[in-house]
Parts: sequence; structure tokens; C-alpha cells
Amino acid sequence: MLLRLEGIRKHFGGVIALKNGNLSVDAGEVHLLLGENGAGKSTLMKIVAGMYQPDGGEIVWKGGKAGFRRPAEAARMGIAMVHQESLLAPHLSVAENIFLGREQRMPLGWVNRGRMLEAARRLIEEHRFPLHADWRVEKLSPAGKQLVEICRAIQHGSSLLIFDEPTSSLSETETQAVFRIVRMLRDRKMGVIYITHRLEELRSVGDRVTILRDGETVHSGPLEAITTQRIIQHMVGREIGAIYQRQPLEPGEELLRVEGLTRKPALEDISLSVRAGEIVGLAGLVGAGRTELCRALFGLDTVDAGTVKIAGRIVRVRSPREAVAEGVALIPEDRQKTGLATALPVGYNLTITDIGKVSRFGFFLDHAAEKRLAAEFASRLRIRCESPRQLAGRLSGGNQQKVVIAKWLVRGARVFLFDEPTRGIDVGAKTEVYEVMDELARSGAAILMVSSELAELLQVADRILVMRRGRVTGELPGRTTQEEVMRLATLHEGGATIAGEQE
Amino acid sequence: MIQRLLPFVTLIALFAGLSIASPDHFLTKTNLSSVVRQTAVINLMALGMTMVIISGGIDLSVGAILAMGGLLGTMAMEKGLPIWLGVIAGILAGSLCGLVNGLLTTRLRINPFIVTLGTLGIIRGTTLIISNGLPVHQIPQAFSFLGEGNLLGVPFVLWVLVACALLVHVILEHTRLGRYAFSIGSNPDAAYYAGIPVAFHTTAVYAICGMLTGLGGMIEASRLMTGQPTAGQGYELQAIAAVVIGGGSLRGGEGSVLGTLIGAFIMGLLANGSDLLGISPYLQQAIIGTVIILAVAFDELRKRKMVA
Repeated sequence: MLLRLEGIRKHFGGVIALKNGNLSVDAGEVHLLLGENGAGKSTLMKIVAGMYQPDGGEIVWKGGKAGFRRPAEAARMGIAMVHQESLLAPHLSVAENIFLGREQRMPLGWVNRGRMLEAARRLIEEHRFPLHADWRVEKLSPAGKQLVEICRAIQHGSSLLIFDEPTSSLSETETQAVFRIVRMLRDRKMGVIYITHRLEELRSVGDRVTILRDGETVHSGPLEAITTQRIIQHMVGREIGAIYQRQPLEPGEELLRVEGLTRKPALEDISLSVRAGEIVGLAGLVGAGRTELCRALFGLDTVDAGTVKIAGRIVRVRSPREAVAEGVALIPEDRQKTGLATALPVGYNLTITDIGKVSRFGFFLDHAAEKRLAAEFASRLRIRCESPRQLAGRLSGGNQQKVVIAKWLVRGARVFLFDEPTRGIDVGAKTEVYEVMDELARSGAAILMVSSELAELLQVADRILVMRRGRVTGELPGRTTQEEVMRLATLHEGGATIAGEQE
Repeated sequence: MIQRLLPFVTLIALFAGLSIASPDHFLTKTNLSSVVRQTAVINLMALGMTMVIISGGIDLSVGAILAMGGLLGTMAMEKGLPIWLGVIAGILAGSLCGLVNGLLTTRLRINPFIVTLGTLGIIRGTTLIISNGLPVHQIPQAFSFLGEGNLLGVPFVLWVLVACALLVHVILEHTRLGRYAFSIGSNPDAAYYAGIPVAFHTTAVYAICGMLTGLGGMIEASRLMTGQPTAGQGYELQAIAAVVIGGGSLRGGEGSVLGTLIGAFIMGLLANGSDLLGISPYLQQAIIGTVIILAVAFDELRKRKMVA
């Protein structure tokens, strides 16, 4: 037994994050930790890694009672964590990051670069990682950054490695590469705890599974003994109905038409069309140009060639402002960074796209009208908030996403670009986002939806366009198979891209 | 809630404390009037700074703008223009400086800290070149009314301050510009993605800050009855301190007119009280510095409790 957690409790202010966290990991085991957002997974792991102190419960590490007051202490005892957001120093090299905090020192505090570089090289070679010791970390892809963190853990002789949602920003090939390494670590008798949101990927890597719900461990056992349906039930705590499947409807007029859109080197000769009432999926690997296409259509990036028609009229948008004026809306990939002002009230976020609607003379705000409008849209999209005055950052991920969608409804947009609309959203809330998208389509909107979760594209989209290296490589009907999409997405595709853009 | 009221409670406690410690000198009309007159200039600058800080920016050049406004306004009077035109000239000069700050920040996309650090030098230097380093003295006597006169028994500057505070409050809470300022300060990317003309409104905020500072410059000139090219040195830090003590966040998206006024008056009373109680002016600076750190520390503590 490597690690055993028993009855771990933790609260922040008045909020209880963990009531009863239990978990045990053996050496040479990959242990999956599942649960909805806010179930307490990250809190539990941060306690193990010494970043938080538990209020109660017991941590047994290699047979002895333990408690780590600082991350450094946990690291010394052999516990390492690969974070969702990279915690590396971006301007330093791979080697320097591997030895960060444990530089090979010489007298007078000099850092011995040569020896460090050599040790890093040996380590990378031994594991045949596609890395170079002198690459700069800021230029690595997300997968490459994770590899560096894994190298750190190995170099420091860690016996337990915790992955906090490592694949949420990775493409399928990169995910496979990470899985291969996880399996290799397991074979070397390392213990691995693996937090994930993506249910479809877990079968290929885990041995045992622990499920948290509302701060409590509700299930723990071998992975092969439990069905995915059962896992979801444990996570959400209720029976969830059959898997969502959207009923397509008769499409109306063509709202978005793109012809020969090119922006070198990200987009090459893209042509597509979306009709009112249609949801068109955009599949492909990370870096295939899907986000870039959304950005170009929304006026965030300039284009080199091609035309865009909105409702039959040729438009040229050079800024989001012009795109919005044409009725185009973007629900961006990164909600917190570009979609919401989390420190401002829900109401402010809803009316920001069309403040004129709640103003007198186009300048003075009409607070009463604003409140009415916010309340109306909050109830229409079933946004669960105490009042429009609640801060947007306090809502759950799913409700935050609905606020981002609702603000475009306030504006009356008709062409919607959804970029990874359910990323980081609970299993239960995903369906609600699909339902909102369906309602949008039914009310006459045209929707282009980027998603890296093939399963969700198959559930929601009427048609699926597959992109690869900046081109649309094929179109498939909504009821296609994952294999078919992957075939088009990876056609002649090489291995994982770890290097990023090194000079 | 108690912590949110802390600046207000501090101000009341300070007022009560000084009333008890120095009843004969503090609680007199002359002394209170002079506190108002002394803090009015910083208050006006701090009102503009509140808008800038809410929109996620900072303006380090306000001290220099103050001098530029005061100098050009008094020079206009020296050249024979009527007083009211001189005052308007000073305000316009300030607005123009603010406009330049806004344009440089938004067009060149340089961090406002750097832009205004640069314009601080440029504006101060230009003011010294224009004046040849010499103050303007030939000013009509009646001009002193702006800074030293009384209206309905209270200092005239108090009326000016109240009017400007109301104006900024209305802008921030009741207009599109104010709402955009909060949005831009809270998350500039989200504001841009929502189709807000970010550059235009950011520039407007800097211009308004410059306008209020220009007015502050005229009041300063009126109180001294000179147009001093070296006026206002270090005022920018006092203005920023007032905003921060009043709950404004340098991360943007937070701040209020009432908070800023309270912040400025806390600093004013601390200075006045120290004078009355015979505390050395050297120590005063240290006290005010301590108050700034404490105010922000308490505010951070409050926010951390709210989030967790």
C-alpha cells in the first residue's frame, strides 16, 4: 500500500469541500479519480501534495501516518503532481525546469549548467521521450509541458504521481502519447492517481477507480467491475436518462456561407455552409485550425482570401465589434478568460453585448429595465443564480456557460460559433448546454460547433466537418462513427506534436 | 460587511479621535475649511484616478498634468483673457494630456504604467520649457475665489468637489461609459469579444481623468495665486492611495466614488491631525504609508474570505 486516505475533511470558510474523502493506491497501479466539478477531487489531491492542510482524517504514506505542511515536504517524500495548468517556468529550458528548485549546486551557489543538461539528456534518452533538454518550455505544446513535469517527477525519484486532468487540453494523439507514458510509469512500479473528466478515455488507462460526489467517496473498486453508465450515476447521484440525442429539424435559409477562406498558415481554402436550424460540427485534432476558423469568422484575426456571406450578403468583419453588428456570436473556448467578467454581476454580463437595450438616450442606464431583461433571460436559459446581482464567477461552470450564451441572445445574434462549449462542465450540465443549443437552432439560429469530444459531436450535430492542418478534409452525416471521424482527422498524421514551435 | 465599512468607520473614528484630542483647534470652522481646501485637489485627481483604475489602468502623470493645467490657465489670464476662460483653458489642457495618455495606451498597446511614466516626464518637461522654469504671478486678484472663497458659508471648492463627485458617480453607475469601464477593467478580453469599443472608452476615461486633474490644477494655482510649473509633484501617488484605501483594486473592475472620497479624507485628516498634535511631518509620511498597506491588507482578507 503506497497511500491511504481515510475520512479526509476540509472546509474553506463556510463551504465544505470534503466531508469524507477515502482513497488507497498501491505501487504499480493507475488509480482513476472521478467526480463532477466541485466534487472535491482537486482539493483531495492538493491535500496529498501538501498544498492544503486537512481539517480531519488520516493520511497514511508508505505505512506511516503523514501530513505534509508544504508542497516541498510532499515532494521530498516522493509525491509529485502534474497540474492542469502548467506550473513550469516558461522562459527556462526543459533541463532547467526538470531541476527547478533542485539545481545541482556548486560552492557559492553557482548552478552547474553542464551537469544539469547532461543529466536531463540522459533521463530523456532513457525513456525515449520526444524532448530536447535545451528546448524552451514556453514553446512546447501542452503535451510537451506535461512531459517535462513527468520528467521532474522521475528525476526526483517520486513514487506517486498525480495527474490533474492532464488531457483536457490535448489532442487524441497527444492523449495516446501520455497514456503510453502512464503505462510505462506503472510498469516501473510507480503509483499513479489520474483525475479526469473524459469518460471515454478512462478505460484505456486505469486499473481501479474512486468516485467522489459532494466531498464524499461514494465508490471505490476495480475498473472492469463497473459500467460507464454506473460510473455516471455515482458521479451525478441520480439516474440520468438515456444518452442525449438531438432530433434534427428541417433546415431553413442559409445563414452562413464561407468560400475559399484562407489565413496562412492556419487556414487553407475553407468552404462551408450552415443553414438556420442547423448544428454543424467541426471535428479535428488540436491545431487543425478549428479555433482559428472561429476567430477569423468573428473578426479576431484577419484573413488573406475568401468570402463570408451572412444571410446571403457578403460581409467583411475586421473586429469582433463588426462581427457582432452582423449578428455573429462567439462562445469562446476559454470561458473565464474571454467569455465572462467573473468579478461582475450576472446581470452586467448579460446586457454587455447590447447595453443600448437598457439605456435611455443610448447613454443613461435604466437599471430597472436591465434587471427585468436579465431576469427574463436567466429564467429562459434556466441559469441557476440567486439574482442577477450575483457575481458571475460564483456560478457553476455549466451556468457560467449559459450566461455566455444568453448574452448573445440578448443581442439577438443568429450565427453562433461554439468553441468547445462543454469543456470543463459537469456531465449532468452538459446535456443542459446541448438543450440550449437545440432551442437556439429551433428558434432559427445557425450553429457551428467545435468540439474535441467526438461523442458529443455525434450526439448534437446534424453534419460533421472534419478539419486537418487548416483544411476541411471531409463531411460526414451526423450519425457517423467515431472511427470514421478519426480516420479523416488523422489521415497521414504523424506522431504527437511535442516540440511546439521551437526555432 | 463590517470589513467593507472599514474605511468609513476609520474616517469617523479619526474624526472623533481628533475632536477629543484637540477640541479647541480641530473642531473649528477655520480648521475644517482648511482640511477641505487642502484635500480638494487630491480629491479631484483621485476621482479621475478612480475611473482609470476601475477600467484596469493607472495614470502616473496626473501630478504633471496638474502643473500643466495650472500653468497654461494662469498664463492665459496673464495674457489678459477673462478668469473663466483661463479656468477653461486649464481644464482643456488637462483633458488634452489625458487624451494623449489614452491614445498612447490604446493605439500603441503599451501598458499604461509605462505610458504614463513616460508622459509624466514629457508633460513635466514641456511645462518647464513653456514657463522657462519660472512661475506665473500676474494673475487677477479675483481668481483666488476659486480656491479660497466661500459660498453659502462653506469653501467654494467644496461645492466644486461635490459637483464633480456626483458627476463621476453618475458616469460610473448610471451610464454606458461607466458600465464599459467596469467591464474593461474586470476582463478586457471578454469586453473586446463582446463587441465593446474598448479603445474608445478607455481613451475617454483617461481624458476625463485629465479634465478633472486640469480643474485641480486651476484650484491649486488659485490657492497659491501662482502658476507653478513644479506644482503637484508626488500627487499621483496620493491620488492612487486615496482610491486604494477606498477599496479600488489595481487589478481593475473595482472602486467607487464614495470610497475614494473617504480615502482622500482619511489621508487629509491624518495630515491635519498630525500637524495639530505636533507630530513631525517625517513621521506623517510613515503613518500614511502604513495606512495604505493596512487598508489593502484588510481588503484582500475580506475578498479571500468571500471567495473561499
